[in-house]
Amino acid sequence: MKALRWLVIVPYFAIATLPLLWLGVTSLKTREESISPTAVVAPSTIEGYKKLTEPHSGTAHNFFHYLANSALIGSLSTLASVALGTCCAYGFSRFRIPGAKDWLFFILSTRFLPPLAVVLPVLVMYREFELENTHLGLILLYTSFNLSLSVWLMKGFIDEIPKAYEEAALVDGYSRWQAFWRIIVPQSATGMAVTAVFCLISAWNEYGFAMTLNNRNAVTVPVYFAGLQGNIGGLPWPQIAAGALLFVVPIVLFTVLVRKHLLRGVTFGTIKQ
Amino acid sequence: MKYGFVAPALIFLIALNIFPLFYDIALSFQNAELSGGESAWVGGKNYGTVFGERKFADAIRTTALFVALAVSIELALGFILALALKAPFAGKTAVLTVLLVPMMLSPAVMGLFWNLILNGQYGILNQGLASVGLPQPQWLTDNDLKFFSILMIDVWMWTPFMMLIALAGLNAIPKYIYEAAEIDRASRWTVFRRITLPMCAPILVLAVLFRSTDALKQFDLVMAVTGSNDAATQTLSALLYQVAFRGYKVGLGSAYACVILVSIIALATVFTRYIDRIQRSKA
Repeated sequence: MKALRWLVIVPYFAIATLPLLWLGVTSLKTREESISPTAVVAPSTIEGYKKLTEPHSGTAHNFFHYLANSALIGSLSTLASVALGTCCAYGFSRFRIPGAKDWLFFILSTRFLPPLAVVLPVLVMYREFELENTHLGLILLYTSFNLSLSVWLMKGFIDEIPKAYEEAALVDGYSRWQAFWRIIVPQSATGMAVTAVFCLISAWNEYGFAMTLNNRNAVTVPVYFAGLQGNIGGLPWPQIAAGALLFVVPIVLFTVLVRKHLLRGVTFGTIKQ
Repeated sequence: MKYGFVAPALIFLIALNIFPLFYDIALSFQNAELSGGESAWVGGKNYGTVFGERKFADAIRTTALFVALAVSIELALGFILALALKAPFAGKTAVLTVLLVPMMLSPAVMGLFWNLILNGQYGILNQGLASVGLPQPQWLTDNDLKFFSILMIDVWMWTPFMMLIALAGLNAIPKYIYEAAEIDRASRWTVFRRITLPMCAPILVLAVLFRSTDALKQFDLVMAVTGSNDAATQTLSALLYQVAFRGYKVGLGSAYACVILVSIIALATVFTRYIDRIQRSKA
């Protein structure tokens, strides 16, 4: 039985990490080496990383410009979804709201809508308000897209804070808003951080909306890389590998930080551990 | 007062999710073009096109096959992995963390990189196959293989998700049940079939539902590997993109979107009912 166990783990681990390893190796090759038919050569250069600072032929900016777009859009939309989601979750957690369960399931179901199926009316709307190809347009959309996650996760965390804390504060003359701000917000700080990480991951990696609404300005990294396909000079594999690695590093770091709540995060708080 | 807390989020969702849905319906009865300009009402003409075209039926078949295969392979692999990883061993946390990395990657970016791995001439996969004397298929261009290449990438990315959830399910089974089974001298297979599997089932169903709704949207990998107009891999999202953004037909695209949304909403209802039931059974 023990041997059988390793017979599963070792091969899977080896196969699953191979593409990641290859990403690392490719980022340290020259372009010629990356597409040579004798692929296994020693990594020799950091050219791939260096070239990220120059615009690639056919694109307007360098990689870091797009990374800054991703960071701006990701962080602002994350802040907004966590703020709105925490307030909303608090309301559902502490008050009797008519049809609360229906509202909550309505909120959850917005997550199932495929971006490509809702993007057309959004596009027409955005043209009307001149939000197409702007940072703000994507920030608003990602905020609403992540609200389902934020409300559901935060409701779980706030439900765990004893009501007695705020009741004591209310008796002491705090207003409801003060009680929320001074008691619930600090008490649910961990929950908010966990929620923020999961909102950031989905905004960071999102492609469907970003590609259809923002393919001229405020272009994010996934759209930038995907747009390199069909490039006349061929794909700059070492740069792509280097960029992909730099792009995933913050996400891996954040995920390691919240690893205890990982399961809760990927299941919208429906599974708690 | 209490509505002050919930209203902002709800207004946001209604403005950016519900309003577009209704607007979608209105657009689907017009002949709007992506380039703008005047559009006129055309009645049910768009829906006639949707249901009259073979492409739509093909996209439904491709998507359904993709969801069924991806989710069942990921479930089986993820569950087997979870069984193997359940007991503690040295370095378990590190191994789990590394295994989870594929699901943190951007599918659009990583999908692009898979093009290098799977390339027929200089891809590392085919070089590996050649070095041990195996045939080297054209993973990205062979019509029978493209679909499976995308499937393979999806399995690589999302098996960790199933593993993570299955592990939680396994860890939640109380030890004393296994001890009781041991006293009763139940065989390994009986223990698995009568205890492990049924006690994990609810959480696995949840995982399957989460993955299915996600797989149903499959777009990023298709775009990265074959583009939106490949008959062998055109999922519903890819078809929508092709019609609306390459064919510039916003009205027709909206009609497709409406039909797809109706089926998604039906699935979402099944899903939310199930979550509701699980949560009530726990409370």
